[in-house]
Amino acid sequence: MSSSATQQTPQHTAQSGLSQSRLESLLESAKLLSSHLNLDQLLGHLLRTAMGRYLITRGVVAIRTEAGCRVEVSRGCAALKKGSDFTPEASLAAGLELVFDIGAAEAPIGTLALGKPARGPLDAEETDFIRALLGLAASVIANALSHGESVSLNQELDQKVQELRALLDLVRGLAATLDPEEVARLLLLTFSGRWAVTKSGIAAWKEGHPPVLRQRGLKLDALEHQREAIGALPDASVLMAEQAARFGLPAGSMIMPVRSGGETCGAVVCGPRMLGAAYTNDDLEFGAGLVAQAAVALDNSWHFRDTIGKKQMEKELALAASIQTELFPKQLAKLFATDVAARNRQAKQVGGDYYDVIHMPSSHPTEEHLVCVVDISGKGIFASLLMSNIQATLRALVFRENSLPIVAQTANDLLYATTPSNRYATALLLIYEASTGACRWVNCGHTDGIILRANGDVEMLACSGIALGLFPARTYEEQTFELRAGDLLAIYSDGVTDAQNEAEEDFGTDRLVDVLKQHGSLPAADVVERVFEAIDDFAGSAPQFDDITMMVMKRGAGNMA
Amino acid sequence: MATNFTVQRSTTGNIVVLALNGFLDAHTAPEFEKVVQQEFDGGNVRLIADCGELTYISSAGLGVFMSFIEDIREAGGDLKICNLAPKVAQVFEILGFDSIFEMVPAVADAVKGFENPAKEV
Repeated sequence: MSSSATQQTPQHTAQSGLSQSRLESLLESAKLLSSHLNLDQLLGHLLRTAMGRYLITRGVVAIRTEAGCRVEVSRGCAALKKGSDFTPEASLAAGLELVFDIGAAEAPIGTLALGKPARGPLDAEETDFIRALLGLAASVIANALSHGESVSLNQELDQKVQELRALLDLVRGLAATLDPEEVARLLLLTFSGRWAVTKSGIAAWKEGHPPVLRQRGLKLDALEHQREAIGALPDASVLMAEQAARFGLPAGSMIMPVRSGGETCGAVVCGPRMLGAAYTNDDLEFGAGLVAQAAVALDNSWHFRDTIGKKQMEKELALAASIQTELFPKQLAKLFATDVAARNRQAKQVGGDYYDVIHMPSSHPTEEHLVCVVDISGKGIFASLLMSNIQATLRALVFRENSLPIVAQTANDLLYATTPSNRYATALLLIYEASTGACRWVNCGHTDGIILRANGDVEMLACSGIALGLFPARTYEEQTFELRAGDLLAIYSDGVTDAQNEAEEDFGTDRLVDVLKQHGSLPAADVVERVFEAIDDFAGSAPQFDDITMMVMKRGAGNMA
Repeated sequence: MATNFTVQRSTTGNIVVLALNGFLDAHTAPEFEKVVQQEFDGGNVRLIADCGELTYISSAGLGVFMSFIEDIREAGGDLKICNLAPKVAQVFEILGFDSIFEMVPAVADAVKGFENPAKEV
């Protein structure tokens, strides 16, 4: 290097110095250009080199994209900012006279445009240098461009992967819970994490279940009244100002109806994204997908609760039924020559019929018994408890009290005091003196009793007082009759006469009397069975909702003990 | 199921450091939510999530951070995130958390952030 320099003339030296600097610059550029792939830095270097070398104060590099030629780097050129369209006209207008293609002339990947060099016009060699520099840069720019593309592709891919992860994670989480509140909580956490939103909420409703309501920074309480409007929305949408106001939500919120079957059973709302970011179509799709998953989970958890509730109720009913069964006398007290039989059949639900024949020790030495059929309002465990209450009350009362009106009155007051006002019991209470057939009775709001006399006459024990437990301080009057040999007494609950057939006709008193007349000669237990058979024949396939209780007393010919 | 997740609590002055360990996903997010809620209810609003031992975070896990940040900042505090493993940090960045939360390399940096609020994002 030093030897060749000594042989050159001063002019030559200047000339070769210039060309050497060009070579050095090219070498430096080549090294620099291949050392990093950041497009901005790369183009910046290109522009700096040209501008520095020729003392140029303004210049831009534009890159061709599908949408046209765009300015990527701009220095000292306010008219052509980064991102603006680059055209030859715009370039000239901005005072950029020197225009070079980057890459092959037939398919350039971009343009370098420069202002007027302060050093004067470029000679051929300088132009060649610029061309060489741009040729060098072209392939590097092409690489950088494709790298940038793959980076943004990768970012999109990352987002998708993240979406899938969130979906998978949520589905796993949902599978592990059968609690609607937990479903709501997981869904909202996932959304607020996925979209970096601080405001989110869910409101969901199902008949027979408490509403699900979780909200952070939003008020969704009133959405239930707008179920129809929510149902008309697409699976996911961003609420514009007017629509948002109608739902009382901030504009830019995303709303996703929760649908189950054809019904709208709720809505999920995510507040506007932070830092002004907007929801994309991908986001809408993702949101709708997640909510669809959550809707299934909500449905499952509600259904699960229903099943549990049903099981619980069945258990309760079974318990009530067993309590009730225990309360019926295993064996009716012997009434000497009087044949007595009774049967109770519960409808599907546990009802509140009760019958009993209770010996009255207070009446000693006569043989008196309290005979009763009681129909308690309501069903289920409560009716069972009330029934046991009535049984205890009656048994305790007749133990010391012989007056039927006082028994009825006291029972009424006790029931009134211990039960809610909508709970009551109808009862036919009858004190039977087995040795004589003497009967004293009160009918407290109960269905009529029937006396079928031996000669075929029919007499009714009609209602003579108000049901027990409805009003306080009621008085009851007793009436009397004598059950004679060959007579039959039937006491029953309204389940007998109210039994309906498929045409919704009542079984009624007349049919009951007919059955009693037809089979009255049979033992009491058989008469009871015949009545049940007649009811079943009559009802056919019509469902029976009420308990049926039937008691029959027949006074035999030998009426003494 | 891989649902090992624990939170260890320690304090530096009036700053509470929650050291997260394991998987923060749909299964474990409610647990973390409870922890943060407790701190917030207890009036502790200067919180640092030390994610050094956090091996995975899902959207539901990130949701916990989002759920509290506004309330915490309104109360004059902050929830800073530090010590993220590269893989976990990537998730935070993909979803744009780095523009909302102060994310710093170490617990000490986060503590400094509290002591010198001028440096806060």
